[in-house]
Amino acid sequence: MDFKKNTVDVKDESKLLLHELNENPYKKFNVAFTLMSIIPFLVFFYLLVSKLFSIDILAGDIGLIMLVTLVISLLGYYIGYRVIKKVFDKIIDYAAHAKYRDKLKSEFVAFASHELKTPLSVMKINLTNLGLGILGEVNAAQRNIIGTCQDMIGRMDKLISDMLDLYKIEAGMVKLNVERCDLKRILERQVREFVPLFMKKNINLDEDIAKDEFMVSADRDKIEEVINNLLSNAAKFTPDNGIVKLRLFPNDEFLRFEVRDSGPGISKDRLLKIFDKFETSGIKRESTGLGLAISRDIVELHKGKIWAESEEGNGTTFTVLLRKDLNS
Amino acid sequence: MSDVQSKRVLIIEDSKELVMSLITFLRPHGFVCTAAYDAVFGVSMAHKGEADLIILDLGLPAGGGFFVLENIKNSPATCTVPVIVLTAKPEKSFEDRAIKMGVAAYLHKPFEPEVLLEHIKKVLAT
Repeated sequence: MDFKKNTVDVKDESKLLLHELNENPYKKFNVAFTLMSIIPFLVFFYLLVSKLFSIDILAGDIGLIMLVTLVISLLGYYIGYRVIKKVFDKIIDYAAHAKYRDKLKSEFVAFASHELKTPLSVMKINLTNLGLGILGEVNAAQRNIIGTCQDMIGRMDKLISDMLDLYKIEAGMVKLNVERCDLKRILERQVREFVPLFMKKNINLDEDIAKDEFMVSADRDKIEEVINNLLSNAAKFTPDNGIVKLRLFPNDEFLRFEVRDSGPGISKDRLLKIFDKFETSGIKRESTGLGLAISRDIVELHKGKIWAESEEGNGTTFTVLLRKDLNS
Repeated sequence: MSDVQSKRVLIIEDSKELVMSLITFLRPHGFVCTAAYDAVFGVSMAHKGEADLIILDLGLPAGGGFFVLENIKNSPATCTVPVIVLTAKPEKSFEDRAIKMGVAAYLHKPFEPEVLLEHIKKVLAT
């Protein structure tokens, strides 16, 4: 894919914007100001035709004053026209640049996806080919290296996907596919995915979820992503034999979902930056540091709230508030 | 492996490196692979009737993957050939469209080669 070749021109955007208006505002300005500027002449003509004064009057001082008045009036219209045209030029230019930037961002996402993910695929298959011994026998040390490379590719893939997701959200390119869904079911499904990981670390999962339905108007996939990120964090930071507590309950007009881990906790300084991009709490390096930033953006797109509370050495609690579905 | 032995797989993908890697991966499993590097050539290869399965990229030069898919699915000669999409396009709308058009599987790059193999075997077994 040739990224540059596909790039739209900002001048084209200006033309498109003007086209979208269905009329040429510059022509309308011209007509409006021309009409306005002939008003003094029309008044003068009317006075003459109505014989309210004779043409001789123009020969004296009054004539000079009238001439000066007409010139000033025309000058005023001209300056007014220039000012309005300049303001309009700026508005069109600003809007065209904004549209141009959006298109560039959209092109960049498509470009980055293709140009980064295809080479990753090639590396992944070739490592698999090596690991399977298709290209010759592999010893244990070589297999170990192949495994490390495969892990790194997995991490790069996650980083690229997270960066593109965040980029799209921040560029306003994400449209929520809102539907009425049961938050409890979404949570249960995500929890099921994490059970093997929790079991592997012998983490005790303590669920406090009422039997009611918890209906929200939300984009199911996006909310799943938020819950997945929070559970993934909890699994990562909770030590072996630790506890992860999940709570889901109504809270006024919101549904409140909490994930509490028994990890090392986060210092007050770091807690302030926990939802920032590339913030990895300085503890676990396998994180892309984008999951919480994405989660925050998704929750905010849903007009909800997300925050973290923590005490060093005493675990961390992430809380998400999502508005209840009004029909529930 | 015997039920898929010598099955012909047409890979329509513009990355020559990916095509070569896929061929290296699939050949030991008994598949006979051919390749096309753009949409038009891909359609022409598919119409030659030499494929039991098509692996299709969506971001193709000369028309794109959906051009290939439309041609394959709208032609009586090729409409029954199963298609597995391999794509770097993250948009859900592409996936929905492809599934609606009857693709057998839709995998995002970078995919797990074993997962692709499983899909190929499953599709060819049915």
